[in-house]
Amino acid sequence: MFAGFDWDVIWRSLPYLFREGMTFTLTLTALAMTLGVVFGTALAMMRLSAFKVLAAVAGAYVNLMRSVPLVLVIFWFYFLVPWIGGWLIGARQPIQVGAFMSSVVTFTLFEAAYYCEIMRAGIQSIPRGQVWAGYALGLNYRQTMAAIVLPQAFRNMLPVLLTQTIILFQDTSLVYVLSITDFLGAASKVAQRDGRLVEMYLFVAVVYFIISYLLSHQVRRLQTRLAVPGPA
Amino acid sequence: MAMIEMNQVSKWYGAFQVLKDCTTGVDKGEVVVVCGPSGSGKSTLIKCVNALEPFQQGSITVDGVSVGDPRTDLPRLRARVGMVFQHFELFPHMSVVDNLTLAQVKVLDRSREEAVQRALRYLERVGLKEHAPRYPGQLSGGQQQRVAIARALAMDPIAMLFDEPTSALDPEMINEVLDVMVELATEGMTMMVVTHEMGFAREVANRVIFMDRGEIVEDAPKDDFFGKPRSERAAQFLSKILRH
Ligand SMILES: Nc1ncnc2c1ncn2[C@@H]1O[C@H](COP(=O)(O)OP(=O)(O)OP(=O)(O)O)[C@@H](O)[C@H]1O
Ligand SMILES: [Mg+2]
Repeated sequence: MFAGFDWDVIWRSLPYLFREGMTFTLTLTALAMTLGVVFGTALAMMRLSAFKVLAAVAGAYVNLMRSVPLVLVIFWFYFLVPWIGGWLIGARQPIQVGAFMSSVVTFTLFEAAYYCEIMRAGIQSIPRGQVWAGYALGLNYRQTMAAIVLPQAFRNMLPVLLTQTIILFQDTSLVYVLSITDFLGAASKVAQRDGRLVEMYLFVAVVYFIISYLLSHQVRRLQTRLAVPGPA
Repeated sequence: MAMIEMNQVSKWYGAFQVLKDCTTGVDKGEVVVVCGPSGSGKSTLIKCVNALEPFQQGSITVDGVSVGDPRTDLPRLRARVGMVFQHFELFPHMSVVDNLTLAQVKVLDRSREEAVQRALRYLERVGLKEHAPRYPGQLSGGQQQRVAIARALAMDPIAMLFDEPTSALDPEMINEVLDVMVELATEGMTMMVVTHEMGFAREVANRVIFMDRGEIVEDAPKDDFFGKPRSERAAQFLSKILRH
């Protein structure tokens, strides 16, 4: 059935696919996850803040991001980031932002909305009494959050955060609309050049599947390992 | 000398008034027990003392510092008042010793070594020194509550607040916690204790406060309270809880 296919094209392009493409994909995923969790946690704290304005701003941001297709956000940011960057540093012309930087900013801002909701649930899952105990010891809001609430919330939510990151890993393939050489972009270039669409896209799908599957398997194992030490 | 003074304190949750003109005080070295039916506002009252709950009317001072004054440095005030909760509220992601050192280091600026030394001293005092490296979840309820008391004591508090410290415990663990509290009381600690353990009240309390529907219905020396409670409601309440 597979006669007429040239599977060797995969073998030939492996170094290119992984050294260029997968490196980009993984770096983007890791950066967007790290920055997205940080920004998302800040958003979550804003959403839960007693200052109604802060809460409303964060809420509007999250809802906006979650109501717009990611592809559009990618396009918009690609065009907007140079202008916003220029405006931020007071330049008259849009600044030069590489495709990589632009993708990092886009995915950070987009994923932060999802990480925000996860962290918000995590923070809310910590009993009120824990905050009271922190305050009663003389800790201030910042110290109570940093030492007591966030570590527990983060720990409780780690499996969900990682699951969201697996989605992020797959979603980064959308940068290919900007002709960026991520893993899919690299494969797609080879596919076009050698006229080997079926082989390359099949291979890409298998690689995404294997990585995502292995990661979610690890997440499940982590879930059991992470439980706070309880009765022996 | 009054360590804790409450004057005409009132508090509302929306339209619902939880505290109605509560006036009372705790002198230095005094032990005051607060009791009353569920929902009468005991927890709310005691949480107002260290500003875990805000109140809308009246005034509270702790060692002369006004709790309701917006200029008051609340973290600093709270650091001087120990609090023990019904559900212990140990930090489950930290070892026992870290539970005791956290605020010493972050709030009192003690060095880590000094904080650990003190932590171990107070853990020894509640009989749990060997549990220092373990996690709260690995301890029994009674042990956890003793750790919580040690955690509060490690801050060198000028007064201690207890909110039903034994009511979440299995019966066989109540005494190990009460013993620690009795010892504290006899050493002269200023204590405000919400509890239904009338044995504890009889043994060490100076005064007993009875609350009902947000009001302090009775505030009497221990012997008067147990001898001849003046209010009908207090008498009823007493007969109910003393029966079991
Ligand atoms: N956050 C809140 N919002 C609205 N009502 C509240 C809130 N917290 C407490 N209440 C109400 O205030 C009243 C007093 O509560 P509080 O916890 O002080 O009572 P308590 O005497 O400590 O009762 P218990 O013996 O059950 O602990 C109760 O009727 C309770 O339902
Ligand atoms: Mg209560």
